[in-house]
Amino acid sequence: MREREDQSNQISPLQLLIRRKCIYLTFSEETKGRSNRVRGHSTQLSVAMAPPPPQSHRSPSPSQPSGKSEVSDLKSQLRQLAGSRAPGADDSKRDLFKKVISNMTIGIDVSSLFGEMVMCSATSDIVLKKMCYLYVGNYAKVNPDLALLTINFLQRDCKDEDPMIRGLALRSLCSLRVANLVEYLVGPLGSGLKDNNSYVRMVAVIGVLKLYHISASTCIDADFPATLKHLMLNDPDTQVVANCLSALQEIWTSESSTSEEAAREREMLLSKPIVYHLLNRIKEFSEWAQCLVLELVSNYIPSDNSEIFDIMNLLEDRLQHANGAVVLATVKLFLQLTLSMADVHQQVYERIKAPLLTQVSSGSPEQSYAVLSHLHLLVMRAPYIFSSDYKHFYCQYNEPSYVKKLKLEMLTAVANESNTYEIVTELCEYAANVDIPIARESIRAVGKIALQQYDVNAIVDRLLQFLEMEKDYVTSEALVLVKDLLRKYPQWSQDCIAVVGNISSKNVQEPKAKAALIWMLGEYSQDMHDAPYVLESLVENWDEEHSSEVRLHLLTAVMKCFFKRPPETKKALGAALAAGLADFHQDVHDRALFYYRLLQYNVSVAESVVNPPKQAVSVFADTQSSEIKDRIFDEFNSLSVVYQKPSYMFTDKEHRGTFEFADELGNLSITAESADSVVPAQQVEANDKDLLLSTSEKDEGREPGSNGSAYNAPSYNGSSATSQPLADLAFPSTGISGQAPASNLAIDDLLGLDFSVGTATTPSPPPLNLNPKAVLDPGTFQQKWHQLPISLSEEYSLSPQGIASLTTPHALLRHMQSHSIQCIASGGQSPNFKFFFFAQKAEAASMYLVECIINTSSAKSQIKVKADDQSSSPAFSTLFQSALSKFGLP
Amino acid sequence: MLQCIFLLSDAGEVMLEKQLSRHCVDRSICAWFWEQAISLGDSFKQQPVITSPTHYIFQVFRDGITFLGCTQVEMPPLMAIEFLCRVADVLNDYFGALKEDILKDNFVIVYELLDEMIDNGFPLTTEPSILREMITPPNMVNKALSIVTGSSSNVKDTLPRATASCIPWRTSEPKYSNNDVYVDLVEEMDAIINRDGGLLKCEIYGEVQVNSHISGLPDLTLSFKNPSILDDVRFHPCVRFRPWESHQILSFVPPDGQFKLMGYRVRKLMSTPIYVKPQLTSDGGTCRLSVLVGTRNDPGKTIDSVTVQFQLPPFIISADLTSNHGTVNILDKKTCIWSIGRIPKDKAPSMSGTLVIETGLERLHVFPSFQVGFRIMGVALSGLQIDKLDLKNVTYRFYKGFRALTRAGEFEIRS
Repeated sequence: MREREDQSNQISPLQLLIRRKCIYLTFSEETKGRSNRVRGHSTQLSVAMAPPPPQSHRSPSPSQPSGKSEVSDLKSQLRQLAGSRAPGADDSKRDLFKKVISNMTIGIDVSSLFGEMVMCSATSDIVLKKMCYLYVGNYAKVNPDLALLTINFLQRDCKDEDPMIRGLALRSLCSLRVANLVEYLVGPLGSGLKDNNSYVRMVAVIGVLKLYHISASTCIDADFPATLKHLMLNDPDTQVVANCLSALQEIWTSESSTSEEAAREREMLLSKPIVYHLLNRIKEFSEWAQCLVLELVSNYIPSDNSEIFDIMNLLEDRLQHANGAVVLATVKLFLQLTLSMADVHQQVYERIKAPLLTQVSSGSPEQSYAVLSHLHLLVMRAPYIFSSDYKHFYCQYNEPSYVKKLKLEMLTAVANESNTYEIVTELCEYAANVDIPIARESIRAVGKIALQQYDVNAIVDRLLQFLEMEKDYVTSEALVLVKDLLRKYPQWSQDCIAVVGNISSKNVQEPKAKAALIWMLGEYSQDMHDAPYVLESLVENWDEEHSSEVRLHLLTAVMKCFFKRPPETKKALGAALAAGLADFHQDVHDRALFYYRLLQYNVSVAESVVNPPKQAVSVFADTQSSEIKDRIFDEFNSLSVVYQKPSYMFTDKEHRGTFEFADELGNLSITAESADSVVPAQQVEANDKDLLLSTSEKDEGREPGSNGSAYNAPSYNGSSATSQPLADLAFPSTGISGQAPASNLAIDDLLGLDFSVGTATTPSPPPLNLNPKAVLDPGTFQQKWHQLPISLSEEYSLSPQGIASLTTPHALLRHMQSHSIQCIASGGQSPNFKFFFFAQKAEAASMYLVECIINTSSAKSQIKVKADDQSSSPAFSTLFQSALSKFGLP
Repeated sequence: MLQCIFLLSDAGEVMLEKQLSRHCVDRSICAWFWEQAISLGDSFKQQPVITSPTHYIFQVFRDGITFLGCTQVEMPPLMAIEFLCRVADVLNDYFGALKEDILKDNFVIVYELLDEMIDNGFPLTTEPSILREMITPPNMVNKALSIVTGSSSNVKDTLPRATASCIPWRTSEPKYSNNDVYVDLVEEMDAIINRDGGLLKCEIYGEVQVNSHISGLPDLTLSFKNPSILDDVRFHPCVRFRPWESHQILSFVPPDGQFKLMGYRVRKLMSTPIYVKPQLTSDGGTCRLSVLVGTRNDPGKTIDSVTVQFQLPPFIISADLTSNHGTVNILDKKTCIWSIGRIPKDKAPSMSGTLVIETGLERLHVFPSFQVGFRIMGVALSGLQIDKLDLKNVTYRFYKGFRALTRAGEFEIRS
């Protein structure tokens, strides 16, 4: 063993010293404006010091030209040197070229020097040539006429004996990208493709692609694609082959839209011989070219399983490659190949796990992030495979927060029975993290784990500990979680309530947390002895509460509390309703008014509306649909994974449109919900007192709609399904007075829904109770209708008033709905109407399906009843008849 | 495929612009980027993939230089990032360091390099040894030589033969009077230690770095005494896969010069070479902090460059910290660094003092994490040992040198 000097890439002190001296030297010479010779030799240094005087270095706006004088100065100097063949001329030229290019780089327009630059470029010095190519490439596009000047010397260089110069000249020639010069490209490209040096061929191949983009027809006419194909299959140099592949892919893909032959050729690239030809040489390809080939192969469809295994065996060592891009491309290929073989697919996951984890820990932060995004996708797809590697997803203090966020999500996903304890312990560490957003995320993660696990004992304790940590944001997040937890596991209420009860509402500021706390106060007011008083103090501070969400929750909570402990809450309720009615926020105002009316009507009804018995939530909705997740998976190794969206969501405008539309629908339904609770006072009174008037009002309100064909057409409406959640606050059937038909109808029209609540007259308590919120979708209805036998078939007479009111089917629908009989389809025109109704027995699953044909001229209706529970169908029939007979009666 | 590459200085100035496709990317995107970077701060600067109104931008940030890659089309993000990282590595390799003024001094070389590394948005070659064959790096020897000979071209006269050879990483057949190969094991230890001293996670990421100067076309084999401890490995393209798979032997034709032969990971290590024990007690508006550092399992070599760094929690208004060994500095942004250097044999270094908490707060709720740095020369803590290095295909004698080094990676102690 021999100890050596630390040989990192540091410059030795000696070098530094010399370098500094040089800088000093050049600088002093520069300022004195002395000899050309020395400057020429220490060019690299002088450039930095020389071009545009000091301000260029730290200039706030580098694009500001630093004056014309310098450019014209350069111009005259270049002109002097142009024809010079003096020994030192090249060095001086080089110096000047550097100044020009550095000006160009800084953003100063030096295009006026074009002529002089071209004149000076007749030289054998390759560096000068390179700089000139760079310059020409930059300005040729704006100066097509002048570019013609350069063609000549570039073409000459394309025949130079040095292959490097040939290559460079050809590359520059193709990079001019001036459309009217394409005729000069074909010749050099053709000979470039046949050059005996691979460097030139490699450049020429890409040149063909560049030509294609300037002028597709020229490229096709010269039959270059065929030449490329020949090269791809026969060239000994792999870089040439790779460039051919990339060029052909691009050319044929864009040609295929117009030419069938090109489409066929593109398919040919994916044919077995070509794919095998490339795969067999894959180890000779450069790492980047390997990515290209792997990407191509991932679109190839092997004929049978043994072929798949052959490919995987051949490429397995690519997973060990030092270049992360190769590893990821291989991973993608393996995943795609095995999609149809479940067990092998799983083995692939096992196999790629280690390489991916190594990539994460070995690269730069940027690389780790890209790999981690992909790992995230895989972990989300198959968390159980990674569940033993959970420690890899522990966050380090120094990691940027977007990495931590990904890791937190992965920790959440991989949690299972065996590692939950460790993971939750780790997450709790982050709750005390300095980085507050991450602390929040980690608390949420604990909550998510709690919601996805069966055994939550330990987690609940941890969550409750958060509540005692006395940090605002921790308390806030924990409150929201405890609320969700209680919705899923009501059995934990005792433990949670004991802790939540100790939290002073004054310490909770965030709207979400406050709303959660208030929800719990309302929901569990019987267990929290001071709930009414806490709520009362919150109501007292009504005006200071800025969030409407909190105020809405407060209203509901006070109501719930009132039902459980009326004497203690009465005062708070009064104050809350008063404050709510005076609230400027429409929703709050409306909800308060709604509650007020409800209470006025009947307290027990109000309770069944506001605080009905709840079912525990079994699964909370996932934010991303599995279809979207699959799409992202199909686009493995692309930007989609980093953005966690399929590409159509952030690239294609057309698709984005439909999503915006979906959002709009969502908003609409929200407004519909809030509008449901709108009960304009005068309307209610009108409905109560004068039903005829209200009906006519309703008809007026409906008029614009009934003219529309959609409205009249027999509509199979799924509305009962969709409208039900909207009608959360709607009335049960037992005969409470009306809805706001006008506003409701407007919304119904918009949504194409057929939802409305009619008014009821004095109903005699029926022997059979129906579920006012029965839900049935048309498909199920149809299915049931076909399955069930007819249990009753009857004919009724209709009252003349009823016939008079039956101008359109909708009037009856609304009427029947108020009797808890929902319509699923209706149609017909006077005198014949046909309806399909359904109803559900209260607190039972059994359904009644009715076909009802009404003939208004004979005032008869024929009904056919089908029922799950046949024994009760006579009772239902009676009920139906009594409901029908009341139609049109005041 | 990338459409454009920009290099930005620390002040947001465009140092270099390289258009790669027919769609010219306007420079104004850099101004947009910089505005975002200033207004959004560090979190934005660290985000590798950004969406601008017109382009997707990949950014890699190295030593004050921002490398931006712009594209409008879908491409593998890792490929772009990996490529930009390689550009940074190659430039670093060429100029010895990535500095604004050095890059500006050498911008012509940077252009030349980019020209060879990427064409039409698709990466060509990023192998430093091949690039060196095509474009000579600037160094003092060349400079002196050019002054003497009067030729100052930094472009080699001949094309590297490797562009036509089937061993893309090895350029030509160099000739050396002294043939030598040096193999280094460089390991980084990542660890998380709990507040109760428990080792939550401890693993090592190591690299086998080789510096080879051998004439001709040598075929090397390197074997380890205990390859079974390696959890996962990744190789330089020169390593043949089959010998490793069957016998865990590294068989390869090395590139010329310095390269990373292999990267590896060793998980589930049971101990760390040093311990750091922080203690925080807070009461009545002040907080007492003491940190003890010492050797835990003597690795047999001296541990040096030991540092302990932590962020003072928010709500701390002042700190008074002293140590019995080394120096304590509080930098801006409330970062506190305790530089210990070498751990003395006779005493355990300790740092203690008080932190004053903002009025109104009694106790500390947020506890800092301590990041520890150290370096141990001569030892690979994973326990990996090189067995032997053999050379085939050549007749001459050559010198072999081995060396090992372990340093702290993300070594973190929670309190």
